[in-house]
Amino acid sequence: MSSTEQGTSSAAPAEPTTAPESAAAPEVPESFYYVHGKDKVVHKVSAGALQHSALIHGMISNLGYTEEQAKANPFPFENIDGDILQMVVDWCNQHKGKPTPPEDTNLPKQKEKLFDLVLAVNYLEIKELLTYCCKQVAMMVKGKSPEEIREIWMIPTDAEDEAAEKEAKKRAGKEAAGETAAAAGDAK
Amino acid sequence: MPSIIEMPELVLEKIIEFSDFKSVLALREVCRDFRNFIENLSDTKLPDSKFEAITLCTFNKHRRKSDMFLTYEEEYGFRRQFYSVMEKSRSINGKTTILENSNIVDVAVQDLETVLKFQKSDLECLSFHFGDFQHHNNSLIHTLPDKLTTMLGKLNRRIKTKEFSLKVNHQSQIVPILRNADPDTLERLSLYSTGDMEIEIDDIVGTEQWKHAESIHCEPYLTNLKMEDVCHFSRISLKTNSVTARDMDTLKKTFLSSSELMRYEFESRNFNEQELSNIWGPAFGFESASHWYFQMKEWQVLDFVVRRELMGRDRRCYCLNFDIIDMEDVPDGAVIHAYNEN
Repeated sequence: MSSTEQGTSSAAPAEPTTAPESAAAPEVPESFYYVHGKDKVVHKVSAGALQHSALIHGMISNLGYTEEQAKANPFPFENIDGDILQMVVDWCNQHKGKPTPPEDTNLPKQKEKLFDLVLAVNYLEIKELLTYCCKQVAMMVKGKSPEEIREIWMIPTDAEDEAAEKEAKKRAGKEAAGETAAAAGDAK
Repeated sequence: MPSIIEMPELVLEKIIEFSDFKSVLALREVCRDFRNFIENLSDTKLPDSKFEAITLCTFNKHRRKSDMFLTYEEEYGFRRQFYSVMEKSRSINGKTTILENSNIVDVAVQDLETVLKFQKSDLECLSFHFGDFQHHNNSLIHTLPDKLTTMLGKLNRRIKTKEFSLKVNHQSQIVPILRNADPDTLERLSLYSTGDMEIEIDDIVGTEQWKHAESIHCEPYLTNLKMEDVCHFSRISLKTNSVTARDMDTLKKTFLSSSELMRYEFESRNFNEQELSNIWGPAFGFESASHWYFQMKEWQVLDFVVRRELMGRDRRCYCLNFDIIDMEDVPDGAVIHAYNEN
């Protein structure tokens, strides 16, 4: 279905290409786009809110989708968890057309979520939100010792890291040996 | 959960950017990957350590366990690390680490390099004080001035410090180290030496640092001192073998023609007071010293004092001071020479 719509869009006149600019002029009706994450839940977001994401802004500024085309072609972000994408969309909506404050205290407190959010925001190129997130990550370890930092950020020591690597190599070696043995068995 | 080590470089850079100096030092110790990442970051991306003063100092006598220390002072409090060449150790907060396979002088210089890498704001004071190396049994400490000079040269930027304090045990150590101070930031220059050292100042007065500084404090005796090399300072405190009455007359004229000069203090081994009386007229004796007073602007008076002092058992010297005082502090009966006299 989407392919036919895309086909019509390329044939359609180039007149709506100015659509994303409409955010700046309030009298022009706002255009919306659709995004979904790993969970396939589709979010409807205004072009104005999406301007925060340099990646999406770059994608939509040359598309010239009509409302129907946009609805039928949500941007798939399979690498982003649904709840994380929800956070990103909420943030973009809250800060639509507004100057961003010097600090943001509404970021997730759970480090797993925060790290996921950092990766998503970095991928979507949302500069301000990335700044807030990185600041919060840095604050997590302020005044902490190397041992405490290792624990908070769950970083293995060099020795543990080497041991894990060795283990992995060993396992890979065994598997390879197993495979060759199996292959040899097959050959017989 | 994504590992922080596997985050994209831009993200890690931003995290470092928001960390303070102490956090980054701790991060370096977390794991090899972090250490490498931080080592390879350009200085501009590192946080400012905002230290007020940094000192690298060697101890004079070897009765102590350590041979030198590195101090960095913050607005509230300071941190000091001791280094022992003999023990091959470094102590921080009473915790001693033995660095068996390391050259301790290199370790101290590297630690200083790390601190300087993070320092972006202007320092109030940077001090390098070398004691008398002859008391050290170990010869390694002798390599410190050269190693320090090499490291400072490799920094590729001059250190912004308002005061530069240098104590040397050989004249040759001064210029190579002094050259690494940023002349535009430098306001006060202090030179010290071990023992009664004499320093020829010909190559020092040629440096940008000497020319740009506003005040000079110099403990070693300076030879070849020319007044034109010092009259740009607004404050002077120095020792020399000899000054002439002509020299003092030159400085008096400089004082009277400038509003910037504050105080000059000379200690000279030789001086002919009679010659000065021949130029300026008789001195006014007051509080066992000879004074000459010169009218400056408004209520200000330039007070020139010569005082003979005994330094030690058989050493005499002359203390010659230019000072600006209030008209009402001039003693009764003293002549105040007119502004344009001489």
